[in-house]
Amino acid sequence: MKYELVAGFETHVELSTNTKIFCSCTTAFGGEPNTHCCPVCIGLPGTLPKLNEKVVEYAIMAGLATNCEIAEIAKMDRKNYCYPDLPKAYQISQYDKPLCEHGYIQLSNGRRIRILRIHIEEDAGKLIHNHGDTYVDYNRGGVPLIEIVTEPDFRSIDEAKEYVERLQQIMRYIGVSDCRMQEGSMRCDVNISVRPEGSEKLGTRTEIKNMNSITNIAKAMEYEYERQCDLIESGGAVVQETLRYDDATGTTSSMRSKEDAHDYRYFREPDLVTINVPRERVREIEARLPELPEQKYQRYTEEYEIPEKDAALLTKYRSISEYFDKAIEGLKSPKTASNFIIGQIFRRLETEADKEAFDVKTTAEQLNEMCKLLEGGKLKNNLAKKTLEQMLDTGKPVTEFISESDMAGLDDATLTEYCQNAINAMPAAVADYKNGKEKALMAVLGNVMKQSRGRADAGAVTKKLKELIG
Amino acid sequence: MVTREDIENIALLSKLFVDEKDLDSLTEEMQKIVSFADTINNVEVKTGEFDNINNLSNAFRADEVKPSLPSTEILKNAPEQAEDHFLVRKRA
Amino acid sequence: MGQIKRIHDMLLSGQITCTALTQQYLDEIENSNKELNAYITVTPEVALAQAKAVDEKLARGEEIGLLEGVPMTLKDNISTKGIATTCASKILTGYKPIYDATVYELLQKEGVVMLGKTNMDEFAMGSSCETSYYGGAKNPHSLDHVAGGSSGGVASAVGGNLAVYGLGSDTGGSIRQPASFCGIVGLKPTYGAVSRYGLIAYASSFDQIGPITHDVEDAAIVFDAIAKYDDRDSTSQGSAATLPTLYDDIKGKKIGIANQYLSGVREDVKAAVLEAAKSYEEMGAEIIYFDLPELDFALPCYYILAMAEASSNLGRYDGIRYGYKAEHYNGTHDMICRTRSEGFGKEVQRRILMGTYVLSAGYYDAYYKKAVNLRGAIVEAFDRAFEKCDVILAPTAPVTAFKNGYLFGEETDQLEQYLSDICTVPVNTAGLPAVSIPCGEDSEGLPIGMQLIGKKFDEKTILNLAYQYEQKEDKFKETKWGVKL
Repeated sequence: MKYELVAGFETHVELSTNTKIFCSCTTAFGGEPNTHCCPVCIGLPGTLPKLNEKVVEYAIMAGLATNCEIAEIAKMDRKNYCYPDLPKAYQISQYDKPLCEHGYIQLSNGRRIRILRIHIEEDAGKLIHNHGDTYVDYNRGGVPLIEIVTEPDFRSIDEAKEYVERLQQIMRYIGVSDCRMQEGSMRCDVNISVRPEGSEKLGTRTEIKNMNSITNIAKAMEYEYERQCDLIESGGAVVQETLRYDDATGTTSSMRSKEDAHDYRYFREPDLVTINVPRERVREIEARLPELPEQKYQRYTEEYEIPEKDAALLTKYRSISEYFDKAIEGLKSPKTASNFIIGQIFRRLETEADKEAFDVKTTAEQLNEMCKLLEGGKLKNNLAKKTLEQMLDTGKPVTEFISESDMAGLDDATLTEYCQNAINAMPAAVADYKNGKEKALMAVLGNVMKQSRGRADAGAVTKKLKELIG
Repeated sequence: MVTREDIENIALLSKLFVDEKDLDSLTEEMQKIVSFADTINNVEVKTGEFDNINNLSNAFRADEVKPSLPSTEILKNAPEQAEDHFLVRKRA
Repeated sequence: MGQIKRIHDMLLSGQITCTALTQQYLDEIENSNKELNAYITVTPEVALAQAKAVDEKLARGEEIGLLEGVPMTLKDNISTKGIATTCASKILTGYKPIYDATVYELLQKEGVVMLGKTNMDEFAMGSSCETSYYGGAKNPHSLDHVAGGSSGGVASAVGGNLAVYGLGSDTGGSIRQPASFCGIVGLKPTYGAVSRYGLIAYASSFDQIGPITHDVEDAAIVFDAIAKYDDRDSTSQGSAATLPTLYDDIKGKKIGIANQYLSGVREDVKAAVLEAAKSYEEMGAEIIYFDLPELDFALPCYYILAMAEASSNLGRYDGIRYGYKAEHYNGTHDMICRTRSEGFGKEVQRRILMGTYVLSAGYYDAYYKKAVNLRGAIVEAFDRAFEKCDVILAPTAPVTAFKNGYLFGEETDQLEQYLSDICTVPVNTAGLPAVSIPCGEDSEGLPIGMQLIGKKFDEKTILNLAYQYEQKEDKFKETKWGVKL
């Protein structure tokens, strides 16, 4: 029998605010252990949380960017569970009144992944296990998170991969998170079930916790899908449980121990007050949202007729698309700039991180200037590539590499002189041409180009040569 | 009706050990308190809304970093510590 | 004149130096604390250093404030940087906070002299002070009786003249009841009037810090100093100053008496309260009787919510970051369970378990959620009552101070002790201010207290009414203990 995969995602995204969610400690990554801490974020008795306004704003931005409805009234709740990385033995989160609900992310196959909710909460500290001893560092404790929960709308691993990439892309565009999975600023839990193809009924699901790379997500889902299919095929039943994925063995295993009773006893956080989001506030935040990648993609492909593959590359990171948008201002053909960026600039940016940082010496304005000269015929096509390389090496403007006369092009007298020189110098080739060997003219043309140091326009030279030879 | 299993379950959630020999008396004691708490379920109330005691909203903090404390202060009260971390040894 | 103003005048006139005064208190604590057991920690170095600073100021001819140089104490659940803060629990053994509670910060700015940290029921859970890991504080009127709870230590110290005043905390009556038992004044402010930052939480949506003092004027002075907005506490709002209207006439004020507050109260207590009502009538106030049936379910409602919040608030004591840690264990889970089972007293464990129970799956709706709704009903009931009157007069406790061993007595079960909070908890449930003042004594000479309950953030009216009663009747009775001014 063939089985259909059904999956849903819970993604934790660390917000890139300056301070933690409930105290004024820095959220900076790293740092010596327990140096980004204060009485509040290590949960000393008597301390009280105070909500960081930026966290609410960022969550609303994330909600708007994923087509969510923004709650007018939200509140914070305590999720009670005891673990050494959780200094208060409860996590302040949101239970029944999250900030954002009912959104979606559109995939390239046209399917929409529905977003059930986005809520804000605090991160836990870090535990290091060493020979059974546990070392605790609370630097990450209290860093703000949003948790994005989808409906079980995924039907393939490719959809899952695309969703994670899209989510990353969107969050980075709106600037609420760097979504670095390696550093843990984006973590995914996936719940998976399988059902006979054509069936409407959902199967029993398992949840794979805390995966920190797209590759691992795909591998874990693949493994879990196969495991569940095999289990059912062999007459067994899937047990609802929480799993961890082991990268080394490529397998999932149960996380539950008899010590964790799971009953979070959510209740209203009495130390915090209601969050009220007036509609004007939502509109104001919406107005400040940057153009989203999907909108940019549409503009590039439809208005500028940039090939889809190129448009995808240009919109992958906000830094690139912003560079591109600046570089094409006033250009007749934005595609010219797109080709330079993808063809030449990208070659200098090896890793994804380099591409995202988009740290290039030539500014978008400089590229724009160069493209304009090109469009105006002031810079010859065959010189453009070399010139851009020089610009990228030095960070100097295009005018540094072409002289006044270059920019003016060759005047007719000079062109005539160069052509006459070539004809004089290459009598044999001229004779061949006269005898009907069309190709022989190329050699003469080459001579002219050499004299002009490439500035001459090949078309104009051919025309002039034919005129002079007769 | 509070059962021994209820007590065992909430003791686990509360991270408290209940001595086997105390389990019955504790169950009985809890039953009394629960019965007392149960009296509220005899009350019919029309009203239902309670948000927070003074109906406050939007008490926010600006996103401005203030210096954290040195780890020596943070760890000052730790029963055990090592290498600037709080330490829980496997056994003692 | 109140005691604080008297001491202020003494310091100003040079009748006594602040250091000498402080030393007197320290000496008396040394003499009497063995018997009263009011203090858990005495801080002579801190107090004398603070006193010295005041003396230096005086010597320079600088102005000093009313609270400057007045020796006082803090309940041991108020955090003090570098000074042991135990909550009267074994589990906070060795814990010295690395920050000051907002109220202590405010008082330090006023030039306070802090004598030490006073005894209480463990984590403020109790009505007799006897759940303290350090043993209960005794009643200065009778060593056979408890000081009350949970702020028994502060009440014992102030009633026994081992401090001029103190700050306690009131979650379900923990300031008012011990003040009543010890024959002094205790003010539970409106929820939100005083910052809770640094107060070790019992039940966060009920807890309030407030003064326990000899007289009403002192309560007004201390309240005005601490009722300030604090941006570290999201629920903090501050409140209006009470001193400017303290001495006003009370003619025409409407005093309500809810019949439910008088039922189940001992006859002599009831009589004393009704006697006080008569006294108010003589002063030109109007007495209005009405029913407040919602009071009948205030007690279970309060206990459900308070225990639920407590079970969560006390989850953090796990032996990792501060306080007691089990000596022998095997594995982290075992360490945490042992630490908590060995570190918490019986009553605390009982309330944690009960709180966990009412929040746990399957019971949440029947208990926690229902209680939250009832809380809304109680708030509304008080709102309606306050359309008829300015303040509500009620007994503070149904009885006078319990005999020692009350908690462990054969005949008293847990529930009975909970029931003794019947008069105090409605105020916390509705977030209202209330002040307890002495209004008589029983046949054994133990003080009887009454409370005046006010509208939210209207501490000035209840203190004004309390002050005028005190001036007219003066039911305060001095004890044999401590410093005699």
